[in-house]
Amino acid sequence: MHKQKGMTIIAICVFLFLFLPLCLIVVTSFGTAAAIQFPIKGFTLDWYAKALQSETFMSSFKLSLIIGGLATLLALLIGVPAAYALARYSVKGKNLIKSFFLSPTVIPGIVVGYSLFQFIVIQLGLPVFQGLLMGHFLISLPYIIRVVGSSMEQMDYSIEEVAWTLGCTRLRAFIQIVLPNVSSGIFAAFMLAFVNSFNNVPVSMFLSGPGVTMLPTSLLSYMEYNYDPTVSAISVLLMLLTIALMFLIEKTLGLASIA
Amino acid sequence: MNKNVPYFIVAPGIILLLFFLMLPLINSIWPTLFAGQAVMFGNYLDFFKDSYNLSIFWRTIRISGIVTLITILLGIPTAYFIAGVNKKWRGILMALTLFPLLTNSVIRSFAWINILGKSGVVNTLLIKLGIIHQPLNLLYTEFAIIVGSVYLFLPTMIMTLVGVMETIEGETLEAAETLGASPFSAFCKIVLPLSVPGTIVGSILVFTGTLTAYTTPQLLGGNQKMMMSTFLYQKATTLGDWNSASVLAFIMIVVTLIVMKLLNSIAKRVDRRELNRA
Amino acid sequence: MSFVNLKDIRVSYDGKQNILKDLSIDMKKGELVSLLGPSGCGKTTTLRVIAGLIKPQAGQFLLETQNLTKVPVHKRNFGMVFQSYALFPHLTIAENVAFGLKLRKEKKAVIDEKVKNMLAICGLENLGERYPKQLSGGQRQRVALARALVIEPELLLLDEPLSNLDAKLRVAMRIEIKRIQQRLGITTVFVTHDQEECFSISDKVAIMNNGIIEQYDTPEVIYRRPKTKFVAQFIGFENFFSVIRVDEKHYKADNGQVFTTAAADSDGETATATIRPEDIEIVSSANEDTVAGRVVVRTFLGKSYQYEIATELGTLLVNGSAEQIYATNDPILLVFPAEKLVILDN
Repeated sequence: MHKQKGMTIIAICVFLFLFLPLCLIVVTSFGTAAAIQFPIKGFTLDWYAKALQSETFMSSFKLSLIIGGLATLLALLIGVPAAYALARYSVKGKNLIKSFFLSPTVIPGIVVGYSLFQFIVIQLGLPVFQGLLMGHFLISLPYIIRVVGSSMEQMDYSIEEVAWTLGCTRLRAFIQIVLPNVSSGIFAAFMLAFVNSFNNVPVSMFLSGPGVTMLPTSLLSYMEYNYDPTVSAISVLLMLLTIALMFLIEKTLGLASIA
Repeated sequence: MNKNVPYFIVAPGIILLLFFLMLPLINSIWPTLFAGQAVMFGNYLDFFKDSYNLSIFWRTIRISGIVTLITILLGIPTAYFIAGVNKKWRGILMALTLFPLLTNSVIRSFAWINILGKSGVVNTLLIKLGIIHQPLNLLYTEFAIIVGSVYLFLPTMIMTLVGVMETIEGETLEAAETLGASPFSAFCKIVLPLSVPGTIVGSILVFTGTLTAYTTPQLLGGNQKMMMSTFLYQKATTLGDWNSASVLAFIMIVVTLIVMKLLNSIAKRVDRRELNRA
Repeated sequence: MSFVNLKDIRVSYDGKQNILKDLSIDMKKGELVSLLGPSGCGKTTTLRVIAGLIKPQAGQFLLETQNLTKVPVHKRNFGMVFQSYALFPHLTIAENVAFGLKLRKEKKAVIDEKVKNMLAICGLENLGERYPKQLSGGQRQRVALARALVIEPELLLLDEPLSNLDAKLRVAMRIEIKRIQQRLGITTVFVTHDQEECFSISDKVAIMNNGIIEQYDTPEVIYRRPKTKFVAQFIGFENFFSVIRVDEKHYKADNGQVFTTAAADSDGETATATIRPEDIEIVSSANEDTVAGRVVVRTFLGKSYQYEIATELGTLLVNGSAEQIYATNDPILLVFPAEKLVILDN
């Protein structure tokens, strides 16, 4: 395809538009002034220290990791076999069931959070943690079904059938033959779902309580009353984590698999 | 036993979804629609009769539409550019496009507070240049929400469009050029029409995304310029008005579904022209 | 007098390897010239240089007297048919064919008339309102042809247009192309890797190998008198053995035997002699021209048998008739008719 000057200029402007604001955050995170300003006067790492030492942020970071990990794992436990069943067997109403599993994507996140809050926390009186876990499970499941589902559909099942003829039980064949061959799909789905859960705001907003707050929520609360470079520092740290994650994915799967 | 195995496997997922998604939704929305046996739309009629509510509703739809249009206008040239570069650069550019998508929306909206705020980059620059003397109120405006939402969803639109444009064969464009079309003309007559389905898919994602996003309207619109999502949150938590919140929730679901159905049917009509390889 | 003239064209993709090396070729108006060769020989690159899709690093491209080397693709007015046909999937057949005319801002009535005529010439009447996806491979190929011809181009460029069709269709379509080309009198450059296809319809053939033209002549001349070993192998010669020149019509092989050839284009001291399996004659009595051998393997080709024969000149492949069949280890006598023995430059 031919490149044209006009397109190239627009494309460059778009990429600048996407990245300059993030660069701005990086720069302001080193400023010495109490409020965020640009250009910065002085250079300090104090804000990073403050962020890493903050009890609130660290505990909410830990919680985000725990919930993200648990919810995604649960989604994998439920979703991988389900994706397998839908791909492998001719299930009546397959499309309906698949759409049902993907339905959380159609419901606005804020509505999911709200209805879960009303039902789980208020009416059932369950602890917020369980509510958070279920909420994040719900938003993670579609990624598993979609990504692992596509891997399952592309697999050549004759290797499974050969295993059966050699004396393998169905369960064993599933674990030893099928799973290893869709492992890249599972890993990609896990990464996508985990990142999505970690970054989620609407569900976490509703389902938070004293001592049970996710990182984005605690960030938002902090920002309500404070406008200092602590937020910039945390942002930079999170961006570094994202870059590390992308490296990890590129080395194992190639980023193309989740794009 | 054999025939029913798949049903047992999908059962746990279905049960969990029913219990933790469907049930809560019905629990919240049912009371707004039904009083005993009778269906009542009173709650909804009242909602739309209130001019404040209506203004929030239209603002949400309007902003979503504007954001979608802007992402299309910016996304198409960028995606075309990315689809046309060699493999190595395409990987790099796609990674660069993917990075913002993996970054938290709080961070991405926060970036614009830094730029649009009273002591932000824009105001500081304009005051320094002497163009204005008082900082402009750029935050907590619809403009801010639009910019922030475009920032949020542009990568999504770009990635969707690149996927489509990569399937357009280079030889088709070369054929157009041998027939006398200039490179720009070939772009308009060949690439654009063939990108329509991808544009529609991207539009669904961007429109519904902007419609239902919470972080960006909250940080950049605040209480002055509310969208349906921030309004819902306010009703539910600050005001404790469960009924209004549920009404909003249902409206948001319905609007999302209508938009998806509408755009999907347009996509199907366009696809009738068959966009396979010739 | 030449219509198309490529002079010293050099193309390389990364400055190191040359895809085309000082390639020069002349074509007369109204000729159908084929570029024939194996994958990677540069034939498609040459076509694309003519089309303007590739800019050569050096060299010139002249059309009659005009220097088109720097003229961009869309201004050259050449019709091109791609291997994949490259039909516009979102336009009807009629719209596809009309595309070039619309760009030339012709009147609607004129366009409709021209499109209708061209569809008829190419055997596509009544298909105007269909979409490419609804047509068969052969039909799509004809649409691509119609689209290229309707703009009344100076040159018609065909890049392996028949490769994606099945064997029977390929034969029918190549005759179609020749028929249309002759009727319109349009100069055509045809790229293919199929020797039979190329020889059957071309006025001139350029056999290419590694970016250079090994031989450029009419199909008849190339068929009977290949110039190089590459060309000979490419068009079906077997049985190569080295010879030393005695005089213009006589060459001596390694075993001392002298062979007569009708006329040699080569004037080197050493050369390679070659002859087709079907041209070697099997005789019953020996003389100074015969080559003696022993049958090693016999295979059945349908219309004849083919023998692998061990001789002093090496292993030879010979086709024999069904009337007289030889068995393995049978002795056999061969003769190389002078007009069929070809001498190649080394």
